[in-house]
Amino acid sequence: MNANHFNILSNKIVFLMLTILPVGGGFVYAFLYSIGTIGILNNGFTLSHWVNVLTDTSFWFSLGYSFYIAIVSVSISILLALTIVLFWKKSLVSNNSIVSYLLYIPLCFPAIVVALFSFQVWSKSGLISRIVSHLGILTEITSFPDLTNDTYGFSILYSCILMITPFFAILFSNLYKQEQIDHLKNIAMSLGATKTQALFKIVLPVILKKAKITISLFIVFVMSSYEIPLLLGRQNPQMISVLAIQKLQRFNLNDIPQAYAIACLYMIFIGLILYFLFFSKSSTQLSVSPLKRNFDD
Amino acid sequence: MKKLIYVILAMLLLACGKEQKETSFAIASASWDEIIKQGQNQSVNLMMWTGDTKINAYMNSYIRPLVKEKYNIDLTISSGQGNTIVQILMAELQANKTESDLDMVWINGETFYQLQQIKGLYGPWTSKLPNAEFIDFDNKFIGMDFQQPIAGYELPWGNVQMTIIYNSEKVKTPPMTREALYKFAKENPGKFTWDNHFTGLTFLKALLIDIAGGNGSLNGDFDEKKYQKYSSELWSYLTTLKPYLWKNGETFPEAVAPMHQLFASGELWFTMSNNDAEVDNKIAEGIFPETTRAYVPKYGTIQNSHYMGISKMSINKAAAMVVANEMISAEAQLKKQDPSVWGDGTVLDTKKLPSLLKAKFNNQPNRKYAPKRSEITQRALQEINPEYMIRLAEDFRKYMIK
Repeated sequence: MNANHFNILSNKIVFLMLTILPVGGGFVYAFLYSIGTIGILNNGFTLSHWVNVLTDTSFWFSLGYSFYIAIVSVSISILLALTIVLFWKKSLVSNNSIVSYLLYIPLCFPAIVVALFSFQVWSKSGLISRIVSHLGILTEITSFPDLTNDTYGFSILYSCILMITPFFAILFSNLYKQEQIDHLKNIAMSLGATKTQALFKIVLPVILKKAKITISLFIVFVMSSYEIPLLLGRQNPQMISVLAIQKLQRFNLNDIPQAYAIACLYMIFIGLILYFLFFSKSSTQLSVSPLKRNFDD
Repeated sequence: MKKLIYVILAMLLLACGKEQKETSFAIASASWDEIIKQGQNQSVNLMMWTGDTKINAYMNSYIRPLVKEKYNIDLTISSGQGNTIVQILMAELQANKTESDLDMVWINGETFYQLQQIKGLYGPWTSKLPNAEFIDFDNKFIGMDFQQPIAGYELPWGNVQMTIIYNSEKVKTPPMTREALYKFAKENPGKFTWDNHFTGLTFLKALLIDIAGGNGSLNGDFDEKKYQKYSSELWSYLTTLKPYLWKNGETFPEAVAPMHQLFASGELWFTMSNNDAEVDNKIAEGIFPETTRAYVPKYGTIQNSHYMGISKMSINKAAAMVVANEMISAEAQLKKQDPSVWGDGTVLDTKKLPSLLKAKFNNQPNRKYAPKRSEITQRALQEINPEYMIRLAEDFRKYMIK
């Protein structure tokens, strides 16, 4: 075995040990626990916990609600990030600009801090409510609409957008540079394209296609978030992580297998998404640069 | 890359080669002097809730230095409460570990019930402690934990009663009955709620006991028939109250801390606490306004105790017992009961104490804003079987959060 082969093999072993092994081990443990074959309070094999979860509407509502939060927050973040990149790209490129510093600030805060910040801003007794009340627009702060712990997850969406937009802005700004979009835009316009055509036919398709996998992974990331929906969400519907942790850590130890069944189902769901992202035909084509294909054509 | 693999392998080897400590000491038959001898110069890992600065200060600046100075015991405090403790000990048992990472745990009924279910506690051990002779074990609020005899498996450390906290500037006459609460909430919608955790459930338990006929009516084992009968009345009452609760009763604060925050900001006019002295603490810290007061309604509130347990697989049981003995000494309990320190009620029967210590307890400065202990004790309700709480938590989701 030469040194090159050894390096490739050791890379694979380290990758397996650090990623696949713990996640796979966790999945097997959770699955065995959920079917009652391990766990000190379990009494042997049963499918009752899976049946309970699958027939319980709260699981499906949670899954749907998590998906709704993820899609809406990621979509709005993409729009904001694209706007930032297209309007302030010069400021973003410059390392010392105030815009780039301001953009990086939300990246420094953990989710729990952003959640608390959102609560202080948007609750009935929060900053906005007090300002509006002080200006005489509202007679009292309690007339301020419910924007925390509300049905539509306003403050959850706000917090997620606050955290994700800077990531996307940096990603899109790097793609903009890397793919030489200005150059492509100029070529298109010199051939007669209008600004709008250049934007919708060149700029947006190139950036979004290149960022497709990252965007999909962020949807998964938001769907799995815990601290933000715990503090700012409602008890019904709950996001999937909150539901699972509640089953895992609340008063009834006999609910623990159900928590593991929820975790397994969610892992399967995420696994399917990742499979389609990385191994399906259409996604493998993504590895080829759309620009390269354009030039090849 | 080779280096990285060697580092990982070395870490795995080190993890496997943890030195086995001496566990052959026969603690069950040992005398107290032998326990002290075995326990000194050891370290003890105590897992407890660390969400209150006063409690943390008491532990870090009084108990820790005390055991270090007297016995050279290094007391390490790690943060975690009920569910975390249960999860850790369950995981250790499931992994067939022989040594626990936790030596002592701060628990009460709900966690005690769960730890007894998984057989995670060591015991009986409390009768070994010399200071235990002053504990008021005959007191039903101390010797019984959620209707379960503590049977030497947990050591009473403090005793508290739930109070309802209100802003006296906004609430001139706090509601004393269920009917009055409904009337008040209807007249002042959005100002009252309870949290979706332990404190909120303790409030619901008090209402259930009231509906069932008052103190003692649900004592004993869980009774399905009684639960069905009285809980249906409870949910009927709460669903009529629901539209007038905070956010129309469609959601509830996730824990008592966010509820305190809503109270402090004026969004709520009421909050709750399982520590009857908390109102003094929070005013002193500047969190609650000075117009804050606490009371116990006519239907009563739950009084319960909190305890110290020793994990079954602790390898420092002797040291843990030495620490626990210091925590229930008259001096330590007196200091803990001081409202400026913590304000936690003592578990000692002060009548049994030497006259000098008894006088110190009697002459301790009173609370300024919290109601007197002697007054609220008359309305104290005993904790009910943990099964009631499990069912209430499940049905709360079913009937109220939907």
